[in-house]
Order: sequence, then C-alpha cells, then structure tokens
Amino acid sequence: MNLFEIRNLTFTYPERNLPALNDVSLSVAAGEFVVLCGKSGCGKSTLLRHLKTVLTPFGERSGEVLYDGRTLGSVPQREQASRIGYVLQSADNQIVTDKVWHELAFGLESLGEKTPVIRRRVAEMASFFGIQEWYEKSVTELSGGQKQILALASVLAMQPDVLILDEPTSQLDPIAAEDFIETLKKINDEIGTTIILSEHRLEGALPRADRAVVMADGQIVCAGGVSEVGLKLKELNDPMLTAMPTPMRVYLALEDQDKGGHVPQTVRDGRVYLEGKMSGGADSQRFVRPCGAHPPLRGVAGMTTEEPLIEMKDVWFRYERDGRDIVKDLALSVYPGELVCVCGGNGTGKTTMLGVITGENKYYRGRVRVFGLDPKKSDGRTLSDAGLAVLPQDPQTLFTRPTVFDNLIDVAYACAKRRPDSIRGAAPEAAHPATAKNANHITPEEVEAEVRRVCELTDTADLMGFHPYDVSGGEQQRTGLAMALLTKPKLLLLDEPTKGMDSFFKEKFAAILHRLRADGLGVLMVSHDVEFCARYADRCALFFGGDIVSEGAPREFFSGNSFYTTAANRMARGLFPGAVTADEIIESIMQG
Amino acid sequence: MRRLPKRTAFATVLVILCIPAVIAADVLFFHDRSYYAVSLIIIALAMLPFALVFEGRKPQARELVVIAVMVAIAVVGRAAFFMLPQFKPVVAIVIIAGAALGAESGFVCGALSGFVSNFIFGQGPWTPWQMFAFGMIGFFAGLIFGRLAASIGAPSRDGTMRPAAAGGAAWYDVARLGWNVRARKRVSRLRIFVLCAFGGGITLALYGILLDTAAAVMFTQDGFSVTTLLATYISGIPFNAVHAVSTVVFLAVLARPMIEKLERVKKKYGLYHGNAHE
Amino acid sequence: MNKSIFGGYHPLVNFLYFGYAILVPVFFVQPVYLALSFASALAYSVYLNHGKSARFGYGLAILLMAVSAIMNPVFNHRGVTILTYLPDGNPLTLESVLYGVCMALMIGGVILWFMSYNAIMTSDKFIYLFGRIIPAMSLIISMALRFIPHYRAQIRRIASARRGIGFDASSGGFFSRVRCGGEILSVMVTWALENGIETSDSMQARGYGLPGRTAYSNYRFDSRDKTLLCVFAVLMAASLTAIISGAASVQYFPMLIAGTVYPYAQISYACHAAACLLPLALEVREDILWRTLLGKVTTNESV
Repeated sequence: MNLFEIRNLTFTYPERNLPALNDVSLSVAAGEFVVLCGKSGCGKSTLLRHLKTVLTPFGERSGEVLYDGRTLGSVPQREQASRIGYVLQSADNQIVTDKVWHELAFGLESLGEKTPVIRRRVAEMASFFGIQEWYEKSVTELSGGQKQILALASVLAMQPDVLILDEPTSQLDPIAAEDFIETLKKINDEIGTTIILSEHRLEGALPRADRAVVMADGQIVCAGGVSEVGLKLKELNDPMLTAMPTPMRVYLALEDQDKGGHVPQTVRDGRVYLEGKMSGGADSQRFVRPCGAHPPLRGVAGMTTEEPLIEMKDVWFRYERDGRDIVKDLALSVYPGELVCVCGGNGTGKTTMLGVITGENKYYRGRVRVFGLDPKKSDGRTLSDAGLAVLPQDPQTLFTRPTVFDNLIDVAYACAKRRPDSIRGAAPEAAHPATAKNANHITPEEVEAEVRRVCELTDTADLMGFHPYDVSGGEQQRTGLAMALLTKPKLLLLDEPTKGMDSFFKEKFAAILHRLRADGLGVLMVSHDVEFCARYADRCALFFGGDIVSEGAPREFFSGNSFYTTAANRMARGLFPGAVTADEIIESIMQG
Repeated sequence: MRRLPKRTAFATVLVILCIPAVIAADVLFFHDRSYYAVSLIIIALAMLPFALVFEGRKPQARELVVIAVMVAIAVVGRAAFFMLPQFKPVVAIVIIAGAALGAESGFVCGALSGFVSNFIFGQGPWTPWQMFAFGMIGFFAGLIFGRLAASIGAPSRDGTMRPAAAGGAAWYDVARLGWNVRARKRVSRLRIFVLCAFGGGITLALYGILLDTAAAVMFTQDGFSVTTLLATYISGIPFNAVHAVSTVVFLAVLARPMIEKLERVKKKYGLYHGNAHE
Repeated sequence: MNKSIFGGYHPLVNFLYFGYAILVPVFFVQPVYLALSFASALAYSVYLNHGKSARFGYGLAILLMAVSAIMNPVFNHRGVTILTYLPDGNPLTLESVLYGVCMALMIGGVILWFMSYNAIMTSDKFIYLFGRIIPAMSLIISMALRFIPHYRAQIRRIASARRGIGFDASSGGFFSRVRCGGEILSVMVTWALENGIETSDSMQARGYGLPGRTAYSNYRFDSRDKTLLCVFAVLMAASLTAIISGAASVQYFPMLIAGTVYPYAQISYACHAAACLLPLALEVREDILWRTLLGKVTTNESV
C-alpha cells in the first residue's frame, strides 16, 4: 500500500517562468525511510510542502498528490494535522511556546485532546526521547540539538503515520546531526513511522535509508535503493555523485557495476571493500600523491617571510572575572594568502576566539595583533578600515535593506565614503592638488563599478532585485560574503561558513576563496566541517580546551588523528596512510 | 474582515450598561469613596469587549505570530533602554503595530505589551492602567492611521519578483534606485511627521494623564481632589515630556522601515486576507 | 531562591489568594485590615524575595508610602481635629494624617503583595488559568515570552555581525551610534517577522486553528489543593461578610468613627490575618519538617 502517491506534479511559483517542480511522479510505501537529495534550490522543499495541504505554496499546479488512496485535498484537516507530521528546517522557528512541556502538548491541544490523553502522550514522548530532565525548562535554555529533538517530539506526539523532514540537521553541528538521524532511524525501526527526509549531509542519512530520490531542476533524476541510485548516478555521470558518502564515491569511481550486491555506504563497508581490493594488489604502504582540490598557495606557517596578518601569543580570555578561561594560552598566526581552518567540537570556544580577534572579547593576558593593531584598543571601524572582515554564521544578521542590491550599495557606499582611496585602488592622483578637492567625493559610477566587481566574484549579479529573505540559504550566504568583500578586506574571518551549504556550493565557495587568496587575502575559518577543511585548507588546527593542541598541513594533521578526521582517512587507514579525501584514495588506486 | 455581531453587541452592552452600573453601585453601597477600586473595575470592563471581539474572531496563526513578534519587540525595546527612565520605544512600536495591523490588533498588541513587559519588570498595581493606556494608543493609531500604513507600504520595492527589465543578469541602475531613495523619502515625510506628532501628543494626553490620574487616585482615594490631581500632573510633567519626546524620536526613526516591513510580510503571506482552514 | 511550597499548589489556589490579598486592602480601607495586610505582605515578601530585585521593590514601597503619607495631609484638609496650620494657611488635621498613614499602608501592602505575586505566579500559571478563557491572547503571551530572550540573543549576534563589516554601534559620534543602533533594530525586525512566518507554518502544520482546541497543563488539582481552597474559602468568606455587613466599617472624615461591632469584627480580623498568613505558615512548617528530617538523617549517619 502506498502511503503517498505523487502523479505528474508540476508546479510554478507566481511570477516565475520556470516551474519549481516539473512532472514529478513518486510513490512512498508505508514504513519506508526515504532520503530526498539534490542541489539546494532543486525543488526538494517545494515537493515536501506539497505533501501537506496547509503548507502547500500558492502557485500554478497540475497533477495530483494521493494520500492513502485519496487526493490530499479531500483528506480532512484534522486527519492531516495528526497523521502527516512535518518538521521544518529551523528548530528555533518551529517552536511556538516558551516551555518544553507546553510545546510537546501544542499539537494535541489543537486536536482537542483531553488532559489525561495529552498527559499520557506527552509522558510517552518525554520518555522515548529522554526529555524528562529538561521537561520543565524554558525553551531558551536548550541546545540546538535539544531544540530539534523537541521539535521532532512535539510532532511525533500526535502519532503521525508519516514524518516529513525538510533538512532538519542543516543548523546542527555534526555530532548533534548524527544523533538526530540516528533518532529518526530508531523511530522508523521501532515505531514503523514512514520517514521522508530531505538532506544535504548524506554521510549519515544514506546508509540508514531504504530508498534515495535524487532531484535536479524540479525533476526526479533517479529513485530507488541506495546502491541502485549510486550506480545510476554513475551511469548518468550526474554531478550529485560528488555529494555521495566517501565509501560510495570510492567504490563507484573504481567499479562499473554492483559486484557484491551492495555498494558500500559506511566507513566499515568501505574498509572491507578496500581491503578486498588491495589484497590482490601490490604493496599497500604506498605513498599518496598530493592531489588536493587546489594546489596550496603558500607554504606552512614559518616558511614565509611575510608579516603575519594575525599574530596571537599566549592569549587568555574569560567572560567573567570568576569565570572559566575560554581561551587559554593560545598562539596562532595567519599569513597573507593562507586558508587556516580551526576545527574542534561544539562549545570549545572557537567562536569566542574569533571574538578576541575582532576585539569584541577583550583578552586579559597575552598579545594579539591584527595588522599590527591591538584589537582590545581598536573599535570595529578602525579594524575594518585596516582590512578585517567577518562573515557571520547567519548572513541574515547583515541584511538591513529590502533588496540585495540596496544592501550591497549601502556597504560599498559607506566604505567608499570612509576610505575614498580604497575604491580607487590607492590612486596616486589623490595626492595631486588639482584632484584633491574631489578626492572625497565619490561618484555613483565608482560605487557601481565596485559592486559589480564583487558581484561577479561572488556570482550574485542576478539576485539584485530580490528581497534578501526571498533567496535561498546559499544565495543569502553569497550575499553576505559579497557584503563582507565590499569592505575590501585583507583578512577574512569565517564562522562555520559551510553550515547548511550543499556540496556543490561548498565547491563554489572554495573556488571563490581560492581566487581571493591569490590576491593575498588571508582567511581564518572556524569549522566543524572536517571534509571541507581537509580538501581546501592550507593549514588545519585542532582547538580544544581553549588552546590549539595540534596544527599542520591537512594531510599530516588529519592522518595524525584517528577519530577526528575525514571519512576517507578512516576508511583508508593502514592502506593509504596519507589519504584524507576520496579523490586521493581513488587516485592512489588508479595509479597503483 | 468578519466579526461576530453577537459578541460585538454584547461587548457594547457591557460597556454602556455595566460601567454606569458600577459607578451607581459605588455611590450607593460604598458611598462614593472607593475611587481606585471603581476605576479598576471600569478599566477591566473597558478592556473586556476588545478581548471578546479578538477572541471571538478566532484569529489565524499568522496574525497571532505577527502580534506576538511586535509585543516581543516592544518589550525588548523597553528592556534595552531600562537605564533611562521613561525613555522607551513601547508607545512608538504599539502605534506602528496599530497603523499597520489595524485598530483591533493594535489594542491587543498594546495591552499585551504592557502585560508581558511586566513579567520582566514586575507586575504591580500599575499593570492594568498600563495595559489600558497602551491598548487605547494602539487602537487609536489603528483608527487614524490605518490608511497611512498602506500608503507608506505601497511604493516600497518589496522585491518579491525580479525587475521587469531584468533579462537574466541585467544590471541595476544605481542612479535610478540607489540614490533616488532619498527623493522617495521626501514624498511621505509629511505623513511621518503627522504620525510623530500624533505619537507625542497621545503619549502626553493618554498615557501620561491616565497613569498620573491612576497614581493620584491610588495615593489619596478618599481625599481625591482637583488639587491633588493637579499636583500629580505637575510633578509628572518631566517624566511625561521625556516619554513623549522618546516616542517622537522612535517614531521618526522606526515608523517608515517598520511599516514597510510589516506591509511586506502582510502582502507576501496574505495576512489579514487569508482563510482559516476547516 | 528556595522553592516555594505555596508556589507548588494549584495555580487557582495561588491566584485566589493573591486576588484576595491584593484587592481587599484596595477596596476596604480599614486601619486594622490594612495593618494586618501590610504586616503579612511584608513577612511573606521577606520570606520569598532576596537579592537586587527585592531591594528595588522595598525601595519603591518606601518611596510610595512616603509620598502617600505626605500628600494626603498636605492636600486634604477635611477633619475636625486640627493639629496645626500649614504654611499656605490650610489646616493640618489629625484625620487626614491618619488617613495618609492608612493609604501608605495600603500602597506599601499592595507593592509588597505584588513582590510575592511575581515570585509565585509565574507566566505559565497565568497562561494556564487564562488559556481557556482567552486562548488566543494567552498564546500570544506565551509566544512573546519565548521570543524575548531569543531576540535579545539575536540583537547581540546582529551587533557583532554588523561590527564585523565595519558598522560598529559602540564607537563613533553620537549620531553614527544612533544610526548603527537603529540599523541593528531594523535587521532584528525583518528577521523576526520573516522567521515568524515559519513559526506560524509550524502552528498550522500541527493543527492550530482546528475547532475545539483544548488547553493542557501540568497542574493537577489534588486533595491538598482542595483542602487549602476550602480553608481559604471559609476564612475569606468570613472576612468578606464582615466587610459587606459593615461590622468593621470605618469612617475617616469629618472625624474618625470606627463602627466596630464586637465580637464579629474581632473574628473577621482573625480570619483576615489567618488567610493572609496561611501560605507563609505552610512554608515555615515545611522548612521545619525538612530541617528535622535532615537532622535525623545526619544523626543517623553520624551514629
């Protein structure tokens, strides 16, 4: 029995030319765990929103959606509310009330359940998810992972047949994300709830799924068992291939068909496969040839003779006088053109460290110099004028104006007014007495040229007329980056920039950074994203307990770690000791 | 906008009959001496119809969220300026809410801003008076400026679609849009000025007078007289003046962008025109 | 703050108690009642409140009491017992002085009662009590209370993000600071409204708007609530009867006349005091109980 049956669904948003969904047909059987993947903006969310009437967007539509054999529109709202559970992307936005217990009861209240029934269901949910300890708390006191679990539990309390989740882990750190997916699997296994999950972080989701559906440009590229989809993608040579988990990528690059009946999806299976592959081969202790995505621009720290952009020595910081030290005895330097990644778990103080550099957190011991300035004694404007820019985790915190264009112009105009020479590339004629009078007058053309330059760099030119909240998350991130770049930075600080990015945009993002770095921009990035750091960084550092405990080029850094490292490195451990990315394993075997 | 006439009628009856009845009862049973108690009852009765109409309308989820957002912003704003007595943006935000969302929502937003902020600053005998004063300000703002919001919101480029001329990556004209923003502002500067004047006036006339009266009544009860009232008003002048000035300042800064934002959200999500389901 | 025992009772009982305690002195200005109310309010607020906010509350109470005690005799010249003449030539009467003292007790009492009210009637109790009567508005209150801390955190994030691209609200001239501050608020408002729409989606996805919504709560009305409610009902009824029947009525002007009917008035005073002090008594009893229990535990351990 198919729970959902989508037949030839085509949908176009108002005032758009291209359909967001184009002739989509899909069926989902009861009890299945389906993962929906594809580039961001490919129509995943639009498709999922069509599975519940109250969330269905306005627009032109043809085709039909059947639920349980009936057209969805004919299913009463009350039944839809309880039987079709929907978890949105951001837990923060999803939570309505101020207390955990009230949030759990919210849906049941809407259904008009009596107090004893609600009490029992809420208690059940709290026990199943281990919420008892924070049951009485305010929502504000919860961590990101807890909030997402609460959002899930409050939907599950209504006892739905099917759970629809739209990128629920995009705002979580990797550990919380993994826990969350594991919880979904538990619900699927133990309660039998059907799960339809859209995800861009596939390493955790795919091995647990029964079926994968790949979408592109509003169409379904392929659907089926995970192994089957992998092989199909290879056959089509689809770009989604690069988003697949490392073991799948390695396998698919080396094999043309499914040999053992199973394409490896987990690190364990990948290892078994690799060992089998190598046992017949020659020496396994071969050296891995470097084949990173981009050749390193600069040598490892200390090799260069340039002045560092940031210099931190024995820095200590705590928030309160009697508080714990968040940053302890920290030393770190960043040189021009370098991409330095600081990795580390949640709550270790990585973001606090960025605050020390921007001067927002005043260190109490040690020495920090940013372009030779002491951030403790400089205000945000001085540092910005010196060439420091920060891209925050959430680019929405930057948007003041109603269009992308206005936001960019605002920043460009403000910077040009403060530093007329920056926009003219420190033009020597500014010193000339004849033009000195006009030196402080900026023409619209100059600002326009500057905005145009940055837009081309960040690929934001066709977003200009949109409200920044009407564009996708990746596009918002690009807009934010463009705003940061308009300040003409020499040093860019990034706080978890890859959170919520799909694998395609990560690549694009890395390419943008690469281009900027060629001009001497130094980048310091704080991230959980081990895979990204391994692929693109010049230097990686592990932040723990307020200090950097190890540091090095990605290869030495990650091959020296055994847990905190990339999936490729874990998979190839002992076989290719230096390999940290899937491409490196593939390359090594192909050449071997 | 459909209202339940029964409830409205009931509410009207409540106000017309009950308030005089309370005053009569006071004169008869309490010998016209419990001014404070009677004024409390009157305030409660005066707020009741608004509550009934609002609840009876069964507002949809989006409307509730927008009101809750405005209430929270008002409270956060009050908390942000706590160190400057009477320098607070609550009245300004309530006026904006009334102007953009209508009289009824304006009242609810005002009354609840007063109530919710006191969960943080502490409830006290002033709570009902504040609720009533803020509520009425929101209500009048909605009555008087309901049209204004639409006219301010209209010319804003809300950018829900690509520019008509855009052929793919067509370039935007800086001179046309970037710098003409200032010219556009001048057009409705007068309207903003009127809104500011209204804000300053109503802060003095409604909030100031009402709360000072409440204080006078509470302090003196039986000895309530015109002299005590005048004395209270005079001593309240500096505070009320600061409050009025702050309202004007906040309105001057916030009115345009906030009304534009509210109008965008209203338009984009079909707020106040949408249909409640089932 | 130690966990209040009375706060653990059903919200209805809490609300009834505070309703009585706050409204009776407001409606019934009688010296004995006022004095009893004030004393109990003071005792309970001292028991419940500590720290900075308490200091502010007491400061406010003292200030308002002083204003009231001075304002009445200065502006009210009724009363037959003239003590002296004020500089403006008006008489200062004993009655108005007494009345001022009573008003001060009333106002001080109300402020102190509200201090205890704020400690015990938390927002979720209020939302529970009124969730059935005004469901939409209580939901707004609940949402607003959730948004407030969320917005404060967001304002901090926005300020630091804006600072990161050179718009620093904590430096520069006054006007540039104000402009940066305004921009932070503007970013916050857009963010709040746009993300709020997703919140309403989440409400609708969970069936908000379906007819017949119920209001759930964690509170259970159990036998100890029933008992306390009955005791309160009896005490309050006795006290209110005396007020309404005029057994303890009082007149201040033109001269002080306490129309006290013995012994009803005495009984009603006792009932009023008992009603006001009952929660404090419960708290103290519980404290003693635990102290003895813990004492036993420690002695057992030491043996």
